[in-house]
Amino acid sequence: MMLKTLTCLGLLLAGAAYADVLTDADEIVQRSNLASYYAGADGRSEVRMIIRDAQGRQQRRQFTVLRRNVEAGGDQQFLVVFSQPSDVRNTTFLVHKHVDRDDDRWLYLPGLDLVKRISAGDKRTSFVGAHYFYEDVSGRRPTDDEHELLETDDEYYLLKHTPRDAGSVEFASYTTWIDRETFLPMKIEYLNTTGSAYRRVEVLEVTEIDGHPTVTLSRVDDLAGGGKTDMQFRHIRYDVGIPEAVFTERSLRNPPREHLERPTQ
Amino acid sequence: MTKTDSPRTSGRRTASHAFIRLATGRPRLVYALILFTTLLTGALISQIRIDTDPENMLPATQSDRMFHNEVEERFALHDVIVVGIVNDDHPAGIYNPRSLSALHALSESILELDGVIGPDLMSLAVSDNITQEGPGTIRFEWLMRDAPTLDSEAESIREAVLRLPLLLDTLVSGDGKAAGIYVPIESKDLSYPLSREIRALADALDSGDQYHITGLPVAEDTFGHDMFVQMGVSAPLAGLMIFLLMLYFFRSVPLVVAPMLVAMATVIISMGLLIGFGFTVHIMSSMIPIFLMPIAVVDSVHIMSEFADSHRPGSDARDTVSKVVEHLFTPMLFTSLTSAVGFLSLLLTPIPPVQIFGAFVAFGILLAFVLTILLIPAYIVRMSPKALDRLARRSSTPRPETPLARGLRTAGRFAVRRGKLVAGFALLVVAVSVAGVTQIEINDNPVRWFKEQHPIRVADRVLNEHFAGTYDAFVVLSHRDETALPRFQREALEMLDGLAEPERTALAPYFEADATALGAYYGNLIAALDDALFDADDEQTATILEQLQLLAEQAQIEAKYFQRPDVLEHIETLQDALIASGDVGKTSALPDVVKVVNRELRGGGSDDYRVPQSTRGVAQTLLQYQSSHRPQDLWHMVTPDYSSTAIWLQLRSGDNQDMSRVMDALDRHLIEHPLPNDVELRWAGKTFINVVWQDAMVKGMLTSLLGAFAVVFLMMTTLFRSLRLGLLAMVPLSVTILGVYGLIGWIGKDYDMPIAVLSSLTLGLSVDFAIHFIERSRSLLRSTGSFEQAVTQVFEEPARAIARNAIVIAIGFTPLFFAPLVPYITVGAFMAAIMALSGLTTLFLLPALMALAGPWLFPGLRGAFDEPAPAAPDSLLNEAPS
Repeated sequence: MMLKTLTCLGLLLAGAAYADVLTDADEIVQRSNLASYYAGADGRSEVRMIIRDAQGRQQRRQFTVLRRNVEAGGDQQFLVVFSQPSDVRNTTFLVHKHVDRDDDRWLYLPGLDLVKRISAGDKRTSFVGAHYFYEDVSGRRPTDDEHELLETDDEYYLLKHTPRDAGSVEFASYTTWIDRETFLPMKIEYLNTTGSAYRRVEVLEVTEIDGHPTVTLSRVDDLAGGGKTDMQFRHIRYDVGIPEAVFTERSLRNPPREHLERPTQ
Repeated sequence: MTKTDSPRTSGRRTASHAFIRLATGRPRLVYALILFTTLLTGALISQIRIDTDPENMLPATQSDRMFHNEVEERFALHDVIVVGIVNDDHPAGIYNPRSLSALHALSESILELDGVIGPDLMSLAVSDNITQEGPGTIRFEWLMRDAPTLDSEAESIREAVLRLPLLLDTLVSGDGKAAGIYVPIESKDLSYPLSREIRALADALDSGDQYHITGLPVAEDTFGHDMFVQMGVSAPLAGLMIFLLMLYFFRSVPLVVAPMLVAMATVIISMGLLIGFGFTVHIMSSMIPIFLMPIAVVDSVHIMSEFADSHRPGSDARDTVSKVVEHLFTPMLFTSLTSAVGFLSLLLTPIPPVQIFGAFVAFGILLAFVLTILLIPAYIVRMSPKALDRLARRSSTPRPETPLARGLRTAGRFAVRRGKLVAGFALLVVAVSVAGVTQIEINDNPVRWFKEQHPIRVADRVLNEHFAGTYDAFVVLSHRDETALPRFQREALEMLDGLAEPERTALAPYFEADATALGAYYGNLIAALDDALFDADDEQTATILEQLQLLAEQAQIEAKYFQRPDVLEHIETLQDALIASGDVGKTSALPDVVKVVNRELRGGGSDDYRVPQSTRGVAQTLLQYQSSHRPQDLWHMVTPDYSSTAIWLQLRSGDNQDMSRVMDALDRHLIEHPLPNDVELRWAGKTFINVVWQDAMVKGMLTSLLGAFAVVFLMMTTLFRSLRLGLLAMVPLSVTILGVYGLIGWIGKDYDMPIAVLSSLTLGLSVDFAIHFIERSRSLLRSTGSFEQAVTQVFEEPARAIARNAIVIAIGFTPLFFAPLVPYITVGAFMAAIMALSGLTTLFLLPALMALAGPWLFPGLRGAFDEPAPAAPDSLLNEAPS
């Protein structure tokens, strides 16, 4: 028993000592980007958002996300189909995310029987009323910010990110705590010009799925306004082989049932 | 009164003896006690807390106020400072790069101020825009993320605003000459410092625009600040004025210092106790010193005046003062009690600041009485014999030949000989006054408490000329179908019984959960069903769960009442009715949001500016609206469960009358177009709250006045032990109150808060004069046995004391004319009118009525009236004063 404990401890110490310690901020951000948004060649997940205002009054949203990487770390395609609340059921977003130009975005509103293209405009708008921004969900381009490694401790890389185009965003800078093992950003704090944090994104639960450490519960706190949104990810699968054809305008009015259906256990 | 003392009168005399013995025997102890009490209570004044919130005019538990506060929380509404930017010079108005850049810079700086609720700030610089970008493409973006540098950019902002009804006439005026920034703040107390910081930021901008800062919280807080200054300046000034006037009448510094000491001690102790008890100093209570000062002085003046008249050089001052105080004790006690009753009657008005005002003025009056009969004798006893002799020599002869003395003698003769003329004239005054009273306009508006040229009034005027209005009110609609939830639960639980365990037991709590927040209830329930469905491994369970989910979803949609298109269209008709009332500048509500988003989603044509036809269409439109920079804006209009919604009204005037007209118009509309039974409509908003307390005050004041009138009448009847003299004593105050309010009606001054409390002041002060006059007349009738002689003597010292008091109080308040705040000016002006009227009615009408109905009024003294008829009126007028 004693021996076993000692061995474990030894292994742990060895692991810590021998793990690569990265010193290049850009590389850390690159790997974090891959870990957060590009796991597997494709993936599906069901998302439940609980949006609470400052008074604790809640709204819920539930949707299924299908994702396909065109290229790891590069372009991606998303199809987001709402299931709850029932009055927005089958509202669908289609996104072709590009790293070198504005994303292509489409929207289908079944209640109005309407397909619209959405001009990129600004990515820092609320995602369907949640405290998450569109950009939090699709991923911010690493090249949009200057990255600086402030500190490395046993668990995290602490980085500071300063926007290259300060006019395009509402923050002055943001700080991330990136897990040294998984490269998932476990906490992000957005600072305003006076240097105080007004918004915080936190990972509350990570589960390993198909070999990928995956965020299964995260939370945004609006530190200025007092509200928060919890985002729960479930029924996650990677490398399920979603064909490119799913990510076309055709899917807006005709949701791809076979890919949206919940996988059996 | 001398030979047939009742136990009560002798009791009064014992009390007066005790007081006089103490005051004349232990003057140093009396001084020390009063000084100690004054210092002790004076120290409490440092704990002062100012309260200028008109909301506090209503008790915290008043239902409209509670609802108003609940609505503020329900829709996350805050107090707002309104910053107006006006450009009258540029042809494009505010839509030029320079002005818009300044607005942008100002918005950014304001967002950095502490105490500003940044996410809810409203300005062009932080507004969202939704536009068409080519066929089939829409664009969501900031309306003015960066300040424009080109005229064309400014012009495109103008075009965008014209398409956004929520912004037009709210953030930019319809004429394009003015823009607004609405700054929500964390606490009302911050509005004065914040408005000054914003003013400094605006002054630092060089844009050639005018900046105006207003909003109810700014007005309130600024008022509080000015009120503080007011108390520090106007009250002492009024004190100084009273001092100088008394000096003029009595020509003796020592004689006048004593009443001033009484007044100061009274004011300091009363205010100290008010603050010490933890009451806030409100606009009403800030006037307590000004009200107490003259009242406190009055009794001392009576004593000092009579002492100066009766003291002879060489005689013992102690004896003289004892006699004088004994002589005046009963009338002074009764005048103090009646004045106190006048103010105590304000407790019947359900407005807490008015009640506190009434209670502490009443306390101050009684305190002044005690201080007078303690301090004045002690003071006189402590005076050196030399000073006393000087005082007696200088002050007066029994028949001084001053213009006032001569005038009063003439007045007395005139009143007695032309009794019918005087009474007839009084009747005429009453008739004209009654006509005036019927024309009184009940109206108030806290912004009007500032003078015309005050920056807040100017800002108010300018901004309301340009915009749809800076005054807020809300029509709040709430839906609660009491039967829907039980029906759902009953059906669902029946269905649930078909489920096997463990699902049944696991799910039941979700159905039986607390459903106060319907949004959360259905949300949690549906999520639980969804989870259960995933785990369900047999067909039958899955079917039941699917049915349950369907049922719950249906109930959830039905509960979101204000998402229904027909309901939104109904709200539009309410908005139309409100606008049609003519007093509402603009309304903003959920349908406006839905219509704009629907139009842009459908291509931007004006045909599509309408509510979608299905609930799902509305829900999806709102989902898009929420995908903006400011999703929280939606919750200012509707609750997240869509069970309650608010129509925001902007009014150009905060006058209660205008607000009441809007409410009446909506009431009429609702009679013709009633709401469904399960929808409740209620008003909220500051402009509405002002109407509520105003209404409560008018009704309360009437109760107070009638209550005080009855009590004072009873007291008079008791004092004089005569119903007839009791009636007579009520005449001057009745004529005065009618006269003052008649005047208010005729000159068209709105009946507002300061005007309302004047009735108690009038009652309290007028009855004083009547008591002194009747009491002295009766005792002189007894002692002389002749009405003619009694009247002649009454019009010597007693009449002079009354006239002096009236003049001192009336003129003593003239410093209030220079006050920066209108309520103080009002009180100052009407104080003069009250004094003049009650002085005149006492000195003319009372002797006239005595002459006309003497034997009836004084049945025991009929003999005094058995005299030859008075001389012919002509000779009276020509007669030189003797």
